[in-house]
Amino acid sequence: MSLIHSNMLMSEVVEAHTSLIPVLNRLGIRLGLKDKSIRQVCEEHQLDVDFLLVIINTFLNEEYFPEKRLKAFHLSQIIDYLNKTNHYYLRYQIPNIARHLELFIAQDGSANKTLALIGRFFQSFKERLMAQIEKDEREWFPYCLALGRQWATAVFMEDEECLGDVEADEENAEALLADLKSIMIKHLSGEYNENLCYAVLFAISSLEKDMKQHNRIRYRIVQPMIRQMERFNLKK
Amino acid sequence: MPRNRQIAILLPDTLQAVGLECILNEYFSPLTVSRFTNYPDFTQKSAEMADFYFTNANYFLLHIDFFLPRRAKTIVLMQHTMDALPLSGAMNLIAEEAPLETLIEQIESFLSLADANSHSENNKGLSVREVNVLRLVVSGYTNKEIADQLSISLNTVLTHRKNITAKLGIKTVSGLTFYAIMNGYISGTDMSLDP
Repeated sequence: MSLIHSNMLMSEVVEAHTSLIPVLNRLGIRLGLKDKSIRQVCEEHQLDVDFLLVIINTFLNEEYFPEKRLKAFHLSQIIDYLNKTNHYYLRYQIPNIARHLELFIAQDGSANKTLALIGRFFQSFKERLMAQIEKDEREWFPYCLALGRQWATAVFMEDEECLGDVEADEENAEALLADLKSIMIKHLSGEYNENLCYAVLFAISSLEKDMKQHNRIRYRIVQPMIRQMERFNLKK
Repeated sequence: MPRNRQIAILLPDTLQAVGLECILNEYFSPLTVSRFTNYPDFTQKSAEMADFYFTNANYFLLHIDFFLPRRAKTIVLMQHTMDALPLSGAMNLIAEEAPLETLIEQIESFLSLADANSHSENNKGLSVREVNVLRLVVSGYTNKEIADQLSISLNTVLTHRKNITAKLGIKTVSGLTFYAIMNGYISGTDMSLDP
């Protein structure tokens, strides 16, 4: 797939890739794009056009992940994006799955016990993701930002403990979501509404793709940046 | 429907590997292709589970312990088919410089031949032993405890778990719990889905 560049019309890009809409929305860009180029839209919203391009290109292309360029952005800029992404999950994407799932279960749930189990499974995914996001906000993001500020002013705390890596444990939200999808696709049985089922799966898939991209930035960009700063800290 | 055929490409040359991937996807879909440029990455991503392998003569020889037992499922890309490898009679070779149609024809006959040999592997139901392991996993037992309970080695437990995940397409304990309740392997009333 060819990469998106700043002279392209935002409306044409979105027409070709509607999956970008949630990404643009969380950055404050809304539809009604008229005939503005990506650069113009970014200027209007006071967004760094290079940053936006890297975000949407990595979102669209699994093979495109320019680590060096991403690491050259300011840490606070990346954290800000991850934070906005978390909020978008909480406000829109999770409620969106929940809404469809409720209908899906309500329709045939009394006759089909599998559906209620799927609902419970979604609930445990949701709790898990919310706990992860809560931890991001309480611990990890503030720690990263504090480290970044020290880095900028070269004032280092000596006894700063290393919060280091956020564990990618086996039961994380991403793994649960993948299983939820797989369970519905492979192991669904009994009566169910096909259209609602598709709506649920569509919502799950779009969140799954989003989380994959989010985690790629988290584990391959932010974490190495943090580790590097910590090492530098320890040396001082 | 059987799962997609899994293809692992182990080639040092990215252009060559991507080219091969394009040919495979264009002519032999549906299949899942993973590309690796070096052996450590290849083994790490559990590429040993693949149905078919593409590699070059150099890698084949360097990692002969891996490839020799899997030679029926391996295609070796050669620069000149004349420079035959030892054992070349028993191997699937294709010439890098061959025209595209020859390549496609060779790959096609390779994939369909090897397919015919592997139909018996498509049984996706869990074995009795796997069901026992599954029950214990979702009841919260550790791998070590499962090994003791069933009087099998820890490695065997790990193999069973790997096979269960591969057969069901479910990785997490919560997901496996769901599956176990749904299929009546454990009762849903006394189990919570929360990890």
